Formats: sequence, C-alpha cells, structure tokens
Amino acid sequence: MNRFLTVLAMTLVPAMAGATAIEQAPWAPAAAAYRLTVFLGNLTPVPWSKIEESWEAPVAGASVAQSALSRLTPSQQTAVRAALTSGNRQTVFAAATTVIYQKTLDGLAAAAATLGTAEAAGNVARAQAQFRAFEDGIKAADPAGYRTLGRAWLVLNSAVGTKGVLGTGALEADAERFAAARATIETYLTVNYAPAEFAERRTLSPIPEAAILDGRVVDLPASLPPGSNIAHQAELPRLILQFEEAGIDEVDLPLVAYGDMLFDSPQIFGGPARDLGFACSTCHNRSDVNRDFFIPGLSHRAGGMDVDGAFFNPLFNDRTDDHLDTPSLRGIRFTGPYGRDGREASLRRFTRNVIVTEFAGKEPSPFQLDALVAYMRAFDFLPNPQIDRTGVLTDIASESAMRGEVLFNTPFDGLNGLACASCHTPDRNFRDGQTYDIGTAEPAFEGGTPTSFETPTLRNINFSAPYMHDGSLPTLASVVTWFNDSKSLELDAEQRADLTAYLEAVGDGVEPYHVFEGKESAFRLAFDELTTFASTLNTLLPARDAVNIAILVDTVAPDLAADAGTMTNLAARPEVYRMAETLRAVGDAVESGDWDRAQTYWDSFQRMQAEFDARMF
Amino acid sequence: MLSRRSFLTSAAVSLCLPAMGRASEEGLRLAFIPQENPDKLLGDIQAISTWLSEAIGVPVSGFVTFDHAAAVEALRNGDADISFMGALPFVLAEAEIGAVPLLSEVYRGAPSYSGRIFVRRDSGIKTLADLKGRDIAFADPISESGYLYPMDLFVQDGLVASVDQADRFFGNKFFAGGYQQAMQAMASGLVDAAGASQYADLLLTPAQQSEVTWIAESEQIPSHVVIARSGLDADVQARFVAAMLSLNTPENQHLLGYLYGPDGYVTANVSDYDGVRETAKRYGFLK
Repeated sequence: MNRFLTVLAMTLVPAMAGATAIEQAPWAPAAAAYRLTVFLGNLTPVPWSKIEESWEAPVAGASVAQSALSRLTPSQQTAVRAALTSGNRQTVFAAATTVIYQKTLDGLAAAAATLGTAEAAGNVARAQAQFRAFEDGIKAADPAGYRTLGRAWLVLNSAVGTKGVLGTGALEADAERFAAARATIETYLTVNYAPAEFAERRTLSPIPEAAILDGRVVDLPASLPPGSNIAHQAELPRLILQFEEAGIDEVDLPLVAYGDMLFDSPQIFGGPARDLGFACSTCHNRSDVNRDFFIPGLSHRAGGMDVDGAFFNPLFNDRTDDHLDTPSLRGIRFTGPYGRDGREASLRRFTRNVIVTEFAGKEPSPFQLDALVAYMRAFDFLPNPQIDRTGVLTDIASESAMRGEVLFNTPFDGLNGLACASCHTPDRNFRDGQTYDIGTAEPAFEGGTPTSFETPTLRNINFSAPYMHDGSLPTLASVVTWFNDSKSLELDAEQRADLTAYLEAVGDGVEPYHVFEGKESAFRLAFDELTTFASTLNTLLPARDAVNIAILVDTVAPDLAADAGTMTNLAARPEVYRMAETLRAVGDAVESGDWDRAQTYWDSFQRMQAEFDARMF
Repeated sequence: MLSRRSFLTSAAVSLCLPAMGRASEEGLRLAFIPQENPDKLLGDIQAISTWLSEAIGVPVSGFVTFDHAAAVEALRNGDADISFMGALPFVLAEAEIGAVPLLSEVYRGAPSYSGRIFVRRDSGIKTLADLKGRDIAFADPISESGYLYPMDLFVQDGLVASVDQADRFFGNKFFAGGYQQAMQAMASGLVDAAGASQYADLLLTPAQQSEVTWIAESEQIPSHVVIARSGLDADVQARFVAAMLSLNTPENQHLLGYLYGPDGYVTANVSDYDGVRETAKRYGFLK
C-alpha cells in the first residue's frame, strides 16, 4: 500500500503525525526559512549555500513565492545576512529565531492597532503563521505552556470580533481580553525566543530556551522542512506482481504477503525514517518510483535524495552531498547488481543495507529478509508489445524507432568500438549486470578513481525520468544528446531523434498508472492490501510469532485507521476504525501472551471484514 | 471533499488585493475568497478566467477579496459581477443588495452538507448536554456550518435559550478563525468540542481523525453558492451558468480543480435558501 493514499483529502494539515506521512500546509515565507534553517543547520557538513537560498529565494512549501528576506524589515535583513556570512550555526539560529519572534510580535501589534476593523483577524492570522514555526518545540517541551498559548490564540481570534456582512452579524472587539491574551503570548515568547543570549545548542530546534537551560529531556518528534514531499504522488504506478497476473491470490502466499507488508512498514526502519512514516514504498512506490519525492537539503531534484547523509543515519554519513536518483524496482530479479554503484550482487544483502545502514533500522531477521525478497522478486515489468522476448522491436514500433534500433546496435569509435546494445543488451532486459565509468562522476580527489555505476535496464524507463545515477538528465532525448556529445557519436538531429524514438519504444509499457473508477477507489486498493497483510496472521498466530505480529499490527492498524479519511463512503469510517481497533486488540493480546484471546479477536476481525466488505470504498 | 472557502478565510495567507476597477461593460469580473495558497489561487483564477472567457465569449477576469464581506461589498459597488459565497453571507447579500443565486456546488453527490459538533472519542462526552460548562470552538461568527447551524442544535435541544445566552451554557465559547483551527483546538485538547462542517474532521491529521467523533448533526445546509450582483445582464448571466454547468462533463471536470474543487455544479434556486433565511432570521441576522 502506498502512504500517499492517506493524504488525498488533506491540504491543510499542520505537521507530521505518528507514522503516517502527510502533506504540510503552506508556511509563511519567514517561518519556512526558519524551519529550513533549523533542518539544514543540523546536517553535517552544514549546507551553507542552501541555508542562504532559504532566505534569499522563494522556497517550495511557502504560501507565497517571495523570498523570506524580502518580507523582513531592513534591519532584520541586515541581521540575517550578517549571520549567514558568519558561517556559525548558533549565530544563524539566533538571528533566524529573533526574526520569527519579532514578526510574531509585529503581527500582534498590528492586530491590536487594527482592532475593530476587518484587518485585525488577518493580522492575528499572520502572527500565528509565524508562531507556528515554534509550535512543535513548545508542544514537546512544555505541554502546559503549549495549552496556555493555544488558548491565548483562541482568545485573540475570538476577541477581534467581526464587522459582519454589510454590518449584519457584527461582533464588537473585546480589547481587554485581546490585550490579556496578547500579553500571555508575548511574555512567553520573550522569555523563550528572545533571550539576551541563546544557550549553545548541539542540535538546532524550536525547543523553548527555558527547556534548553534546565536541561530537560525533550522528545521532539522528527519533522521535515517546508517543501518536503514524501507522501503525495500525482499518478500511482501500476504494480504488476507475477503471481497475481498468473491468477494466484496473495492471501495464499503468506511469505509474500508478509514481505509486502514489510515493504510498506516504517517499523523496520529506525530513527527519523520510522517516526516520519518512511517505508520502502515511500520512494519505490508500487515497485516503481515516487517521482515527486523531495526533501530540501537531501534531494537535488524530485525523485531521489542523498541516502548516505547526516539525517537518517549519522553513522553512515559519507559527508558528501551526493543525490541518487531512485531506481525503479520493476523486474528487479533481473537487474542485479544492486545499488546505483552496483555494490551488492545480492538483492537480499542490498535490502539489509537499506534497512540497517541507510535508514538506521535494527538487523532484520532471516525470515523478514526472506519475505521482503520474495515480495520484490514478484515485481514484473509492465508488458510492452513493442518488443519481443529477445528485446527486438516488433512490427508495431514506429519507423523512426526501427531506424533507432539499427543505431543502437551500431558500434561507435567513441564507445571504444562498442554499441549501446553492448551494455544495454536487448536479450538481457537491456542491461548487462556490469558497472562502468562512463564519465558521469568525478573522482573524490585529483587523480583518483571515480565511482562506476551499474548499467540500468531500459525497460519501462519512459515512466522513471529523470535519468542517470544522479537524475541529472530530464528526458531520454537529453540522454541521447549527452552520449552524442560526450562520446563524439556524431549523430545528426534526425539520428538522435530516431535513437530517442527507439529508447521510448523499448521503454514503453502498457497502462503504466493505476486508474480508479467508481468503487475501485484509492481507499479500496488500500483496504484490500491492508487486509491481505493482516491475513498473514493465519500463519503467524499458529506459529506464535510475537515479534512479527507486533510489526504487522503496528503497521496495519494505524494505516487502516489513517486511510479511513480517504474513503469515498465516509459513512463507513467508524467500521474501519472498529477493524483497526480489533487488530490492535490482537496485538495487545499477543503481547500479554494470551493467544486464545488473540485468535478470538482475529476471528472477529475477519467476520467484520466479510460483513463490511461491500461498503469499503 | 469540502469547500475550502470558509475555513480558509482566516488561514495564514497574505492577501492579494489588486486594484478593483468597476465592472466594465466589456468584461465579467469574478470575486474569489482567499485560500491557503494565494499563489496557487492566482494561477487558478488565471486558468479558469481564460477558459470562461472563451466559453462565454466575453472577457472574464478575477480577483481575490479579503473575505466574504469584502466580496459582498464588491458586488454592491459593482466592482464584481459574480462571487463565490457561503449560504449565510449569500442570504445577507440577497437581503441587502439583491444578489441572486446562480449555481450550487456539489460535494459527494449533494448540493448540501451539515454542521456537526465534534468531540474527542476519549472525552466521555456523549450528548450536547454533557457540554454544559465545557469549552467549545466554532469556526467563525458568519459561518453557517461553522457556527449558526451547530449552535442551533443547542437551542433546539433546549440547552441554550438563544445565541446571546450561549455564554451561560458553555464554559468558554471561542471563534477559532476557521474550521481547521476549531478542529485542531478540539483534537489537541485546548477545548472540549468544536462546531464545524461535517467534513471538517478531514482537515485533521489521519491519526487525529480516528481519535474524534461527532455527537450531533444539523439539518442539511445548502452548499456554497455562486452568486451574481443585482442587475447583471441576463444574457451574460445565462451564458456564465451554461459554461459553469459544462464543467460537469467528463472532458471539463479537470477544470473544477481551479474552482475550490467541488465535484460539480447544479443550478441554484432561490427557494433552496428558505431554511437558511429562516434560521438567519431567528438569530437576528435578517429582519
């Protein structure tokens, strides 16, 4: 199941919650720059140019396309610019925090000055939009303070009154209540976000100064900066599982079904990945690629990120900002070695590498790796009637593509006498299982040996742009141009167009995206997948496998409840919540060692599933 | 999906207030209510105005107003010909300036929705009476589903004699500034209940959605409405309505995304708003 399904109806959600990835509401530009500063400032090495950009240029995830600096006073601009040139994290943090503090207070002052007019409510909203930048820090460190401030904002919004419509329904402003609530907020912020000097922070965060000074342990939930998109994908790739196409139900393949669940489970990862709801499917969506995935500071462009940076697993940080394009996993059983640099011949070992080293998970058990690999090995390519079983174009391919096929098989001096087809071997799924240095990466030091990259398959590549290991080329035509220029192939424009047409013919696939109609809703797809995952309890309960049952329940129960908000048939939501609670009860019973009760709850879940089935859309 | 309009009026947005010239004879001017992403809204307005211009055969332009009240002012002043509007502000605009309803938005198959009283599932609150002395957040004082209709539930149950007596029943009554803010205040425990649109819980995080429920639901309220100023040329009005209704066809449905994303439109009838007028009268909004 893909986690983006949980966000279809969400546009205005304030933060990340639990393990379910959701989309953030747009941020005020300065608040966005502050949040980016905090996130990027915690990376090692600190990406200073990106922090500067966060202030100097409009950022994704902001409510208006204006730079944060352009919305500051001249003195604030000077202060932020001076801090940015200092190269000191603490200095930049202090300047950024001060700006948000001041803008919050400025908004409150403007609201007070306009009290009794239609502008007052807008000014309160502007102040609150700045305050939002600190909110999760206050909530985590000081729940009582968070409540006090939250109620103060409610008072402010209520006390501004309204002019009504043409005077009808007008409510008088309550200046006294407004002033008291304003004072509450200002006092708190002055103490916690405008100290004479900020205490030194090992990790930048919006945690209030008082909590830093008294050294309390604060469990601040992990968050991603504005402009991040890990949840939403415009088009859902069509997943082709071999056994399904052959008529076998996943419910009858418990190892595969369990692997499918693990592929969608944040529980196998550790640290921020788990807390943010990352799963394998977050990037490798339905065996293909989440082309819209983007995290500022970690991604150079959508559809990939630096997987060995400071954020997910500091231990594995290579201190190099090296974005990798997420590869499609379609036909993965044919496409070893694995990793863009082909570091692992074994899919199993590479999967372990992703879980443990990239995303800080615990060592997976042999059973878990068996399950994940069994599931992934079922990923098939999209059918493509333009090529036959040996990778040769069929009659339905265009004439241009046919001419391109000849070029593809023609040796070139610029390729050391080889042809494109020498490595992208048509009868081996257009790859050869080797790694090469084709000049796409520079060595780490002068005279050093550059990284080589594995030959990627060309099957279904029409749907996995951008291209090359770092996603640096946006289109297949640009790939052809790159080879033509860098390898001196001397192809004219028509030949390049033919070669591109050939790549597009080879890279095509039937029905690449999932189409939902009527009751075949996004929720229905999620429901079928989640209940399939749950069906592995038929194997795990008799086996008394408490560890894997816990992972299953922690993954499926919250997802089932979270997905209910995407139902077309909203009236049936309570039934989904009942199912989620019943599954949770299975987990609780197993945890307490009461296997009979667990079985009873599981039986109850299955009865509910059968009873509710027709309403689940 | 719910209409984003009402709760967005107070979202953290920077308002774009272009110079508003008087509606000229050569063009149709549409007033839009702000939403959470002003830049997107401006792009949406550009896209839909261009399409409408071609469909109607007259130049169409749009601008963003400060709020519902400002949109009504624009209709009165002739700065706008047509506006997107909630049912309550519409009946006020109808009474004051003779605005006419043209089209109703359709969501989930109906041109109507309800207001609900939401509580946290673990609060132990089961009935409206349980909220005596407790705190409640509504969306906005000029909101049918975010205040008037949910509040009316307490009156109908005899718990509150009239709206101005509400403070005697509740511990505190807040206007949070929008559906989302009211729901967040309830879900995060700042208040005990929220009065908002039946779809407002979809504005919470998925985890929060499963933690809240509703204990009372209002009668159906006509959904948001597209209205015209008094005296707008009948032919232009008819062509506008025809173009908007053509958005229901499969080939045009993608354009609905530029208009706050309803499922479609149906023709609005003056009588559809009898219930809103009656409720507005009872609460002193209308004479």
